[in-house]
Amino acid sequence: MNPEWFTPQNVILAGIIGLMAVGLYGLLITRNLIKIVMVLQIMVKAAVLALVLAGQASGRAGTGQSLAATVIVADTMVAVVGLALAIQIRRRFNTVDVSEVSTLKG
Amino acid sequence: MPGILIPLVILFPWLGALAIFVAASFWPVDTVEDKALSERRAGWQHGLAVGFSLAGAAAALALLAFSSSDIALSIAVGGGNPVLSAIGAMTFVPDGLGVFLAVVASVIGSLCVIFSVDYMHGEGHLSRYYALVLIFIGAMSGLALSSSLLFLFFFWEITALTSYALISFNNDDPKAVAGGIKALIMTQLGGVGLLIGALVVYANLGTFQINEFLARASSLPAGLLSLMAFGFLAAAAAKSAQVPFQTWLPDAMEAPTPVSALIHAATMVNAGVYLLARFYPAFEAVPGWKDAVVIVGVLTALLAALMALAADDLKRVLAYSTVSQLGYMVYAVGVGGVFASQFHLFSHAIFKALLFLAAGAVIHAVGTRDMRKMGDLGRQMPLVRNVFVIGALALAGLPILNGFWSKELVLEAGLTGGPAWALLAMLVGAGLTALYTVRMVWMVFYGHARSSLHVHAGRSAFMNTALVPLAVAALLSWLLAGTFASFLHASLPYHDIHDVSLLELVKEIVTAPLTWVAMVVVAIGLGVGAWSARRASGAGIELKRSENVFVNWARASFGFEWLNRQVVSLAKLVGRGLAHTQTGVLNWNVMGIVLGLVLVMGLLAASVWGQTF
Repeated sequence: MNPEWFTPQNVILAGIIGLMAVGLYGLLITRNLIKIVMVLQIMVKAAVLALVLAGQASGRAGTGQSLAATVIVADTMVAVVGLALAIQIRRRFNTVDVSEVSTLKG
Repeated sequence: MPGILIPLVILFPWLGALAIFVAASFWPVDTVEDKALSERRAGWQHGLAVGFSLAGAAAALALLAFSSSDIALSIAVGGGNPVLSAIGAMTFVPDGLGVFLAVVASVIGSLCVIFSVDYMHGEGHLSRYYALVLIFIGAMSGLALSSSLLFLFFFWEITALTSYALISFNNDDPKAVAGGIKALIMTQLGGVGLLIGALVVYANLGTFQINEFLARASSLPAGLLSLMAFGFLAAAAAKSAQVPFQTWLPDAMEAPTPVSALIHAATMVNAGVYLLARFYPAFEAVPGWKDAVVIVGVLTALLAALMALAADDLKRVLAYSTVSQLGYMVYAVGVGGVFASQFHLFSHAIFKALLFLAAGAVIHAVGTRDMRKMGDLGRQMPLVRNVFVIGALALAGLPILNGFWSKELVLEAGLTGGPAWALLAMLVGAGLTALYTVRMVWMVFYGHARSSLHVHAGRSAFMNTALVPLAVAALLSWLLAGTFASFLHASLPYHDIHDVSLLELVKEIVTAPLTWVAMVVVAIGLGVGAWSARRASGAGIELKRSENVFVNWARASFGFEWLNRQVVSLAKLVGRGLAHTQTGVLNWNVMGIVLGLVLVMGLLAASVWGQTF
């Protein structure tokens, strides 16, 4: 392997792709609502990293970082609401398996 | 001025549809049976529908004064958005072809709405009925006036959708639902041809403007142009119920009769002929196209006339007759007689709307569509009989009714521009037309009563209000032939239409030997019809049909019924197959999203790669 490839940018890029892949894989295989919330978090973290990297690369690091902070806050809301929903669903259906919750099937 | 009138022609009916729906949604749903209240509400719905449709008709008639070949109204779509602006502007040109079809749609449309006031009296779901009819009228005017191929396609699809919804109006009747679905699938099949054509134009000329395409059609590669030409022929054949798509129209007769009169006789089914006439200058030179059009027209005219002869359902006879007459119009386009085809379209819209509405009055009064149960109804409903006979004679092509002049013009065009065998076939068709017309009139209005049907003396003031103007028009509309010709001549820059006066046309038709030949053929048809009617006078003109192989074959649409049914079931099969992709399992949906993303990224990467290397 060429050591010139190991620039900070490329390492971060690889991290983004890796996080995204892990998240997508999780989304594809899991049916547990809590795990879905978790893998969504992982994917959003990839997006946050991408924002920071893009800010750095374009020379406007401040913009990228402030956007990243916004996304972190917004995403926390998603996690909170998602977990709250998971609790409600657990109470009502006695399960957190999304495939058992879908009542609208053709 | 036309820039204001065109939106009015389209929007008056649409606003009416909206008003009726909004009015109905404000009424509280009460379970208490209050007859006076529901009568009053129905009265409002009738009134709104009639008012808005008449306003649309008035706007369309006013538009006649402003016909031109220039773009009268252009609405930019999407503004600065680079993706949306590719759609191009929504443009309207009030040229002869378009304005005249819009007038037919909105005037006959408003007459059908007036007729509905009596016909739909006491029926449920009035707001749905009127809203759909009015949406249809607006969309049909839009289709006629649109000069952008893309928006023509949009309006085309709206008319198909309303047609489907109105055929299936009695949605607890499985036959009505099946008929609607069949009509939808068959016309969609044609719509694909239209869409392909529109995209070919856009890909090659960078515009959806019809006139620009007509001007530059020859710059298209020959293969693409003929793909377009045959795509449009398929679209027209599906919409106008031509061979091999013709069987949806008879099944569409489950619709309420005013709808059959408006959509399935006077307007929507003409859209196909209109399309062929509109694009005739571009496709004229495509090898084989004119022959194909002639063959479709001749086959349809003959087969449908035979099917009309074998049908016992009054509305089905009229439907087959419509198919057959549309075949005449398609044939006229194929032999280069654009004016003849449009003039026959005009005459046919009037007399066939008249026939359908009069048939509706009969069906409304006796409660059946089976002609074998009718007979001798003329004495009980003299006015309906009189107007029906006027319409029937116009259909048969008897002088001096409007159908005579336009049919002779079609045959005349066939003599100068078409092959001899086709002309011969069309002459035979004219004789068959006369034959089935006599048979139909006799079975319904004359002879002996074949069952104890009671004519319900219901409200008929509004029905008569719609019937009488149409009957007068069937007698007199041919006087407009000269005006119509100069109208088309002045506003169609790419069509070669001669500016002839009415007198010249009349002279040309009366002195042509072909006219007299046709008259003899029609007379033979009428004579045979009358003779067999008299011979069988006890029981009307009922042949021993169940044993007759030919009649059974004609009833099965000469095998096309089977073909059409296969297409419909194939479409349903595909639909059911695709339904399996809707699993409701989240993971599969995520899979779909990921695959879509990969596909888009791949396409983008490929295009970037293609540009750099």
